[in-house]
Amino acid sequence: MADSAAEEPLSKKPGGFVRWGQFDWSGLPGNIVDLLSSLKLAISLFIALAILATIGTVIQQGESSDFYIKEYGEPLFRWFQTLGFTDVYNQVWFRAVLGLLIVNSLTCFYKRFPGIWRSMRQSQITVSPAFISSLKQNAEIPLERDGGHVAEQLIDIFGRKGYRVSAARTDNGISVFATKGIMGRVGAHVAHVSAAVIVLGGLIGSVTGFRDFGVGLPGQTYWIPQGEFNLKVDKFWMDYYANGAIKSYNSTLTVIDDGKEQLTKTITVNDPLVYNDIWFYQSSYGDHWDQIDKAKVVIKEKGSDQVVGDVMLDWKEPMEIPGLGLTLNVTGFAADFSFDSETKQVSSKTSEHNNPAVQLAITERNSDGDAIFRPWLFVDFPGIINIEDSKYAFEIAAYGPSKYTGLQIAQNPGITIVWTGCLMIVVGMALSSFIFHRRLWMSIQSKESKTVLYIGGNTHKGQIDFTREFSGLLEQIQSLA
Amino acid sequence: MFTALFLFDLTFWLYLAAVVLYVGYVAVGRSGLQLAAEGPGQVSASDWSVPVGQLATMITAVGLLVNTSALAMRAHERYLLTGTFAPWSNQYEAMAFVAWSIIAGYLLLEFKYGIKAIGAFVVSIGFIAMGAASLLPYRYQTAEPLVPALNSYWIYIHVSVTLTSYAAFAMAGGLGVMYLLKERAERKGLQSSVTTAFPNLETIDELGYKAITIGFPLLAFGIILGAMWANYAWGGYWSWDPKETWSLIVWLIYGAYIHARMTRGWGGRRAAIYSIFGLLMVIFCFWGVNFLLSGLHAYA
Repeated sequence: MADSAAEEPLSKKPGGFVRWGQFDWSGLPGNIVDLLSSLKLAISLFIALAILATIGTVIQQGESSDFYIKEYGEPLFRWFQTLGFTDVYNQVWFRAVLGLLIVNSLTCFYKRFPGIWRSMRQSQITVSPAFISSLKQNAEIPLERDGGHVAEQLIDIFGRKGYRVSAARTDNGISVFATKGIMGRVGAHVAHVSAAVIVLGGLIGSVTGFRDFGVGLPGQTYWIPQGEFNLKVDKFWMDYYANGAIKSYNSTLTVIDDGKEQLTKTITVNDPLVYNDIWFYQSSYGDHWDQIDKAKVVIKEKGSDQVVGDVMLDWKEPMEIPGLGLTLNVTGFAADFSFDSETKQVSSKTSEHNNPAVQLAITERNSDGDAIFRPWLFVDFPGIINIEDSKYAFEIAAYGPSKYTGLQIAQNPGITIVWTGCLMIVVGMALSSFIFHRRLWMSIQSKESKTVLYIGGNTHKGQIDFTREFSGLLEQIQSLA
Repeated sequence: MFTALFLFDLTFWLYLAAVVLYVGYVAVGRSGLQLAAEGPGQVSASDWSVPVGQLATMITAVGLLVNTSALAMRAHERYLLTGTFAPWSNQYEAMAFVAWSIIAGYLLLEFKYGIKAIGAFVVSIGFIAMGAASLLPYRYQTAEPLVPALNSYWIYIHVSVTLTSYAAFAMAGGLGVMYLLKERAERKGLQSSVTTAFPNLETIDELGYKAITIGFPLLAFGIILGAMWANYAWGGYWSWDPKETWSLIVWLIYGAYIHARMTRGWGGRRAAIYSIFGLLMVIFCFWGVNFLLSGLHAYA
């Protein structure tokens, strides 16, 4: 699509005068390929994609309905839903525009690349003086010297400038054709094909790959079903700058496959672990919602309301409190306490520490033997739990949350294709932007003892540089005329 | 004494001086091309444009030198503080780097084509970039250590490439404004001295196009580097985060321009207006997104 129809008339009308006319966009093109490969379609699709993508950035994507209703009101939200504005990038119409752009670039390649390929191998050498003077840059130089001699000089000049030169003797003179920078045109087509390559890689990745998020606690081992191996989280810690800002967070991970430790690596943000094409990224961290490291328990005697004990307990490490006849153990935690009355199960509603509760296993020795209590104690509401058969009241003064490591786990078999496409688009665009396809036609004609050199040329880009080059050439040629 | 912030301030004042001189050069009003045609020795004693133009170029070059040392000093400060040195690690530094790219690009252009009048527009944009940076609150100007997500070698290349593309688009936008002024003066048949110093319309148009053809592949490269970084840091190369989406939007906008240029006769006034519109979109992508939309790039 990036190429004008410039080279087409040349091949259609060999040697003849070619009108460098305007491409006619009025009326529907008769041919579907013409329509699909058209520049006009390309421009429209670029603009359409830009507008659609903008909608997706102005309206936040993938939020809950409550969010939209609060932000925009109910009626507007209904419209958003109908139009798909809350999930723009996954809408059929968005994909369709993207798909059409790929079709557009591929049909452009199909339609225009063969012509470029042909012109790389052979070009129209002989053209009429009328054609030459119709070119954007052109000149007529009267020659005093022999035409054949000048032609040789021209071939030499252009050859030294890196042009590919061809010459032919015609009925009434000599024709010379010089061309350079065809790669500029090839580059545009490389870029066009690359768009399809990138999308293909993306599709392969989304069909055969996966992207998951998981949390891990230090010391625990997790089964990774997609890779059929175990991943052990050895350690998680954070590093800080001198001013207290977080410098990095790190997890040491060990892959256990076939019962053996295969690989141990400390991952950090921007430095993932790779095993069997599965990538583990350090993605986040947080306070775990059903486990803690430590809890500080305050023990009061009910009768006197005096503090009789103050202990720091480790998770699931029973501790005997001397003198009180107590053994305490932290056996459960819920960050956002919730109780299911049917299953009698305690769990955490969310991962937020909104209403933290600690389950304490209490073994109290008294005259009847050992009494065992398992109360849930609310950190934010001390004193509301009363254990009737106990001499003591227990409060959780503080707790030390377990830090979990948040891991992004991903496998993307299409990624190599995506990067290949990216490389192609960068190389293609760079060629297209920095190399200009230049063509110069020269015709030396002798009439009635007068010899004239007609010279003209064009470029598909970089007019300003070509104009300078052309005037430099003219000076050089005039000096040998 | 010569802290980066001091040097950045100095850069600001030098660029301001350069803008004044370039505008002065245009106001005095003789084009470099005319001078070239008349040849040296034809310049009358009352013509100030030559010395003013030379001084403008000189001050701009000195400004660029100070800008360069400011960036180098900031890199050094960062290195001592955090062990990384990319002098484009926050909004302020990024603005200063964009200003650097614009001015460096302009000097290359002046060196190659010798058209000083463009400085009145393009150096102005570089100055505005530097000025906007200095308007940022002090806490944005200092070299805070990098957050973990940014602490990667990708920052050196992804950010610099993307910002350089912004600079190219800024030059195109400046040329667009210049084109419109010149075109308006010609349409009204004004013989004002201000636009006579401008190069002809076709030259302005072509230079604007050229700037965009440089910015366009650079932005593509910058976006791709960003995708590679994201893939390395988060396990996904594209997540429709507002910043990456906006850089894609900007790329699409210039993609439409590049293709439109291929149709016969599309250029001139329309292209000039379009390149100004494109620059506004770049500014939104660079500034607006950070302050108005939330996302992964919220830190930069």
